[in-house]
Amino acid sequence: MATYVNIEPTQNLEPFKGVKKLPLEEYFTSGHRTCQGCESALVMKMMVKAAGPRTIVLGSTGCMYVANTTYYSTSWVVPWMHTQLGSSGSAALGTAAGLKALMRKGKIKNEPINVIAFCGDGGGADMGLGAISATLTHPDYNCLILMYDNESYANTDIQLSGSTPWGANTTFSTPGPAKRIMHHRWKKNMAGMMAAGHPTCRYVATICMSYGLHGMNSIRKALTIGGPTFIHSLDPCPKGWDYDPIQSHELGELAVNTGVWPLYEVEDGVLRLTGRTQQIADKRIPRQPVRDYLLRQGRFAHFTDDDIDYFQSKVDEMWHKWLIPGAIPFHKEIEADNPPA
Amino acid sequence: MGRLFAVEIIYRGIFQKTLAKNISRGIVLAAHQAGKPGISFGRYSDSPERNGIPAKSFAIVGTDQETLERGMAKYEPKEVDITITVDDTLCKGVESWAWYGLQPVNKLLKQGGTLIVTSRETPEALISMAHRKEYPYQLCIVKGTVSFSGLWVYKDDHSDVRILGTIARILPELFTLDSLKKVIQDEWHDAVKVSSAERAYERFTSTTVRPNQGNPETPYKFDLPKWHEMGEGVAIPSIPTGKQIEDPGTHAMGGYRPDRNPTFKKFSTRTMRPVVDFDTCIKCTLCWLQCPDTCFDVTPDGLYDANMQACCGCGVCEAVCPVPNCVTMINETEFRDNSSQWEAWKKDKSGYKTWLQQKIESRPERSHGFRYRGQYKEQIPEMLEIAREG
Repeated sequence: MATYVNIEPTQNLEPFKGVKKLPLEEYFTSGHRTCQGCESALVMKMMVKAAGPRTIVLGSTGCMYVANTTYYSTSWVVPWMHTQLGSSGSAALGTAAGLKALMRKGKIKNEPINVIAFCGDGGGADMGLGAISATLTHPDYNCLILMYDNESYANTDIQLSGSTPWGANTTFSTPGPAKRIMHHRWKKNMAGMMAAGHPTCRYVATICMSYGLHGMNSIRKALTIGGPTFIHSLDPCPKGWDYDPIQSHELGELAVNTGVWPLYEVEDGVLRLTGRTQQIADKRIPRQPVRDYLLRQGRFAHFTDDDIDYFQSKVDEMWHKWLIPGAIPFHKEIEADNPPA
Repeated sequence: MGRLFAVEIIYRGIFQKTLAKNISRGIVLAAHQAGKPGISFGRYSDSPERNGIPAKSFAIVGTDQETLERGMAKYEPKEVDITITVDDTLCKGVESWAWYGLQPVNKLLKQGGTLIVTSRETPEALISMAHRKEYPYQLCIVKGTVSFSGLWVYKDDHSDVRILGTIARILPELFTLDSLKKVIQDEWHDAVKVSSAERAYERFTSTTVRPNQGNPETPYKFDLPKWHEMGEGVAIPSIPTGKQIEDPGTHAMGGYRPDRNPTFKKFSTRTMRPVVDFDTCIKCTLCWLQCPDTCFDVTPDGLYDANMQACCGCGVCEAVCPVPNCVTMINETEFRDNSSQWEAWKKDKSGYKTWLQQKIESRPERSHGFRYRGQYKEQIPEMLEIAREG
């Protein structure tokens, strides 16, 4: 970093050495009004467990706002504030700047405080994209933006978002007898977009809390490295994906093991595949067929074999044809795209 | 002024949303056959619905338009002729959101009104779960496996029309069987569904529940804070950090129990609960770590005790546990209290083992929702068979 960037020290959060070494304390507790088996609530719990007690959490509108603070009650132990749907980026930057000013003026003790703003895929990938992008260009403020992605506007009963995968059933794309596939767009590549477009952002990662230790250590790294950072988490959603909540953990694993959700981090511009994704890329474990993942969810129950094959071909393309597999969707030549009729 | 009919349907959010809609819509359409106007609606404050969290739908019908409009001036009816509970575990009480408290399933029921429950349990078992009421009411069991599906794929096991057939028997003034049969034929074009409704009409039985019967406990409730007690800028006090736990035997302190949101306990969401075999637990931490509801207390001896005040029964702990049969999800109808399993195990290990074994073998088993494509097709014949046997 150039010398004119005035960055404050961060809490030096060493990676957790194993699940048995985790602190027992919880900073996000029971009594939130989320679905049974809500993986996004799990992200909240692990996010603050990883960050520790000296943390301020800011949440834009979405399930993790509405469900966690219903009717004058909360499950948060650490300070939390609600911010508008598209303003997680602004809230993160403003809070970090405010803390810095208060400390400079001697109004509060000078100490590193973690600032984490979270948003859903609707608040992050759709509405808040501009504000998040702006925040990531400010190198002098320490804050983390975490996008918990359940692939729809799940809070308001499953409208499709920029993060909804191709063909999925939502209230905006209900399949019918005349037209089976009502959603023709592919999921936005948020982490790749943030990493490629923001040279001042020192850390971007994708996580899935079915691999909790990996996810928590990514969060600790993002908070330690300093400056604005971004993490994209994929969260299976029993409500919108329509599955038995007992499968929540397993569907997260399947998303990674079928290659639909590659785990990687970009640290100071250097890309590294992580966790199971690294093992799949190294051919140490096979990549499972996406069929195993799709047919466990009611939102894909209308898929024909052709649809499944097409979905598989797009995942294969991501792994084999992308210039940087899993992360950056540039191609060296034009690919034919033949969706099923 | 004419007569006003009110029916409430208490259901599991998302899992039974379509089922509840079919019932309340069916009531209004059938009443309309005899010229009675009505309205069917979901309770707004239950929205956004969450998987498993109790929610309500209402069907309000008047003998004339003016009566209906007068009835609709209330946001939620103060009393109902019929309460329908499409999941028997809801008989233990309903807590739909923070400050709501645990409300008895029969709270809105009129004197002499009927509580309809879908269940495979006996009347005695259901009566012991439901809280006592100061006047008698009727309990009617529509025998069958509780119908659970999801937002997109509906499990059409005829639970909806069987309940509608039962209503035609209980309250013929609301709608007759003939009106209902016409509605089912018009809506679903399915003669088998019509015969399912007819069979439920014929097989109807009910039990009188007297005021001295039922769960004698007073359910917990809260007083809402007054406006002048609220903090500036809608600031809410945060939850304190947790504390250590005392070992009931040695009185040693250790482990960790998080403090929890005092105004929303969430356990009325549960349809199954985990039972833990502490003798085979290898302390791998996964149930504790992967629980989205932070429901596990860490005991002084390093075990993980699912706190039944906080557990909402998602089953993730069973799914992540690497030891076979260490964590097992059991039908909630098997239990009568929320006491600590770890304390019971500490006091009497062999007694606990026997208890655990008996719970694991208990039937019927349960599941809650879509696991793979084709699953409902496999399950429906068995469910229709139970329905036919009555």
